[in-house]
Amino acid sequence: MRRGDDTPRVVLSLARGMLGQVDPETAGLWPRAAALLACRALEASIHRLWERRTLDLQGRSMRVQLICLRTYLGDADLAARAGHAWSALSRACHHHPYELAPTAAELRGWLSVVEELIQKTD
Amino acid sequence: MVARLEADGSLDGWGDLVLGALEGRDGLEAQLAGTSASPRPLAAQASPAPAGAFLRSVAVEGFRGIGRAQTLEVAPGPGLTLVVGRNGSGKSSFAEALEVLLTGDSLRWKERAAVWRDGWRNLHHPAASLSATFLMEGEPQPCVVSRRWEAEAAFEVAEVAVALPGRPKSDLDSLGWTSALRTHRPFLSYNELGSLLDEGPSKLYDALSSILGLEDLVEGQGALQEARRSREKALKDATEGRGRLLERLREVDDERARRVVAAIEGKEWDLGAVEAVLAPASSSRAGTAEAEVLRAIASLEPPDAARVAEAVAEMRGAASALTFAKSTPAARSRDAAKLLELALAFHAAHGDGDCPVCGHELALDRAWDKRQRTAMARLREAAQEAEAAHERAEAARRRWEDLAILKGEALQRASAVGLDLRELVAALEAWVRAQSINDLGDLADHVESASGPLRKAVLRLREAARAKLERREDAWRPMSGDVANWLAAAREAVRRAADLERLKPAEAWLKKAAAGIRDDRFGPIAEKAAGIWERLRQQSHVELGRIQLTGDGTRRRVVLDVTVDGVAGAALGVMSQGELHSLALSLFVPRATLPESPFRFIVIDDPVQSMDPARVDGLARVLESASADRQVVVFTHDDRLPEAVRRLDIAAEILEVTRREGSIVELRRSLDPVGRYLEDALAVAGTAGLPSSAAAHVVPGLCRLALEATCMEVVRRRRLTRGEAHAAVERTLSEAGHLTGLAALALFDDVERGGDVLERLQREAGAPLADTLRRCDVSGEIPPEAAVDLVRLASELTAWLRGLS
Repeated sequence: MRRGDDTPRVVLSLARGMLGQVDPETAGLWPRAAALLACRALEASIHRLWERRTLDLQGRSMRVQLICLRTYLGDADLAARAGHAWSALSRACHHHPYELAPTAAELRGWLSVVEELIQKTD
Repeated sequence: MVARLEADGSLDGWGDLVLGALEGRDGLEAQLAGTSASPRPLAAQASPAPAGAFLRSVAVEGFRGIGRAQTLEVAPGPGLTLVVGRNGSGKSSFAEALEVLLTGDSLRWKERAAVWRDGWRNLHHPAASLSATFLMEGEPQPCVVSRRWEAEAAFEVAEVAVALPGRPKSDLDSLGWTSALRTHRPFLSYNELGSLLDEGPSKLYDALSSILGLEDLVEGQGALQEARRSREKALKDATEGRGRLLERLREVDDERARRVVAAIEGKEWDLGAVEAVLAPASSSRAGTAEAEVLRAIASLEPPDAARVAEAVAEMRGAASALTFAKSTPAARSRDAAKLLELALAFHAAHGDGDCPVCGHELALDRAWDKRQRTAMARLREAAQEAEAAHERAEAARRRWEDLAILKGEALQRASAVGLDLRELVAALEAWVRAQSINDLGDLADHVESASGPLRKAVLRLREAARAKLERREDAWRPMSGDVANWLAAAREAVRRAADLERLKPAEAWLKKAAAGIRDDRFGPIAEKAAGIWERLRQQSHVELGRIQLTGDGTRRRVVLDVTVDGVAGAALGVMSQGELHSLALSLFVPRATLPESPFRFIVIDDPVQSMDPARVDGLARVLESASADRQVVVFTHDDRLPEAVRRLDIAAEILEVTRREGSIVELRRSLDPVGRYLEDALAVAGTAGLPSSAAAHVVPGLCRLALEATCMEVVRRRRLTRGEAHAAVERTLSEAGHLTGLAALALFDDVERGGDVLERLQREAGAPLADTLRRCDVSGEIPPEAAVDLVRLASELTAWLRGLS
């Protein structure tokens, strides 16, 4: 798995840009793009936590990582919400029959969870 | 309708009522009041059939979910257009906008709370306007209908304009669509179907009859029935009120009450007479003899005590004078005086001599003369005193008569007004006994003793009369108010009841005609509906035979000839929500596409909600056949219907709606999901304006979505073609998980063979495509400059995958 230099914060701001900026070039595609970016930001912030704690969890499935998050984050409620946000975002990042892209309001909610998580793990 | 009325010929003044009723309650009242000129429907119906209209665009600004102005454009001709967007994306706002534009209202708001209606403005955008462009058959110039609101203006306060080619700006009526919008309503929203179906057979009847465009008939019957009932009720209330009033009036001892009773106790009410009783003049003086008598008695004066005493004293004085005078008999004194006068005159003439009467010798001489002259003077004086005493006695007696002040006639009538006269009569009898008393002293005693009781009796009678007058007013005053109230209600009721003569035949006629019209309209629809139902029902066990609307009024209901697995069932009870919606849709489509409708478009908002995938296939087919000669615009909140349309290769234009924050609504032509994802990925990869790192993160994800969608498309096509059930295929797909599982299904038709995917791809599609799948799957970052290349490779891979059988 390759990882670039973008911090979770940078990726999150890209997601926010997708959502907030009215740009004809992203018309219609911004919901999926924002979801993809938000999902990346969430995963990256969790990876950052493992690095800090020198835990070798990055290769594990996200399911396992989210369970561990409950222990290591120090905020059970946020960990649970992060879990929900991730599964919703992940759903938006894969094709599901008949499902359309998420709405702005949904994305806004998930982004705020990701933001909290980044603040907690930074 | 007019033709039917004319055919029946016997309009007799109530035909207008039928036409008025079809315009609603107000129309009927206007006809009843005679304030409506020749009925408008006649003119409306007489206008030539309007040209068929196709929709070209709907532009919406600041309305419901749409802020900044956005235009939905559709090809103005027969064909199917799907508008796809999540709930809240603003898609339904287009459908609502079209309905509001043409009807000024939206059925979906009808049953909702006021807040729903009040929320018509978009919060993010103060300017509000709607417009739609139509192309009329045989008319190259478009027709534009617009509705504009001033800032802050209420929903109802809009400026409506219709720009028809070659005509000055006009209003909605100039389109000639007013009645067609009711009879061939081209809109159908999910709400209209959903809310009405659980509410019993009469509600369903209403729902279906509105689908049939029978609202005008139902409303017309309702208006006539209401008009009749309200009149009958008013009359009944007045009759009941009359009963209660009579009961109370009869308890009131008052002549006015008796007159009112006399006026209204019969079958025919003399309301004029009642009014006369209530007239102000009547209640004060004239017309009530009884009150007059009471008032006369109330003002009676008893014998004045001072005057009685004075009279008695005078009587007594006169009496003693008379007693004295009686000792000198006046007549004898007077006659003796006259005799002496004659004798003296004889003596003076003939001189001294014998008495000519007794013959006494030399009785008449000078001494006799002197003596007799003195006696004569004394006799005259005594006679005068006696006469004066008599005259005084007579005068004193007359004073009693002056004291008897009571007027006989007032007393005679007093008994007629129910006063107790016994005391007075006794006192008076005592009083008048004075007439038979000769002795003046006795008379004085009698007057003195009888005047006290008489005075008391008069005073008492007077009090009784006054009290009675008072009571009488107290009893009547509230009654008169009630009588006045009743009179007003009775007047109105009687006046309006006169309409019943015309209302009853109008109602009866419309009831009969409605059944005929209903059957006429419903016949062909029921036939087509059955055909559509056959397609929509798919695996449903419910078989639908004849659909009939029967009865009317409270007995109106829908009779569905339903069999479940060949056994006759209890109609709607056995049908699921999805089946009920399908049924409603089956009825809507044929009605809205009848040849006589001026609308060549139909707009259906979210028909898919409670349908399972198999039924969606049926719906897609139904829409396809409807779109052969009609413009069919369908709004839908998920991808089921578009997916079915693509898979079944149905010609359709698919538009996607997304809504950004701030109610900015975006519309774009949809490709199939695979094409959509790839195009989006390419857009992100090649967009100069985006931060390059965005592309690095987003492009692989979008490519993965494209590959997943491709795999699903391949699997679904293969398995459905093979005859697997929709539900089973969908279950397999959702259990496959993400790209690897889906690719295994696509490549090997076996979800377990994910481990073999890359190897087969390398072998058959080549290493670069196999690597592309891997790079997309791990959703890792890529160097920004590689993004465009990744999209190209992913695109090749989707093509290769689609080539799998």
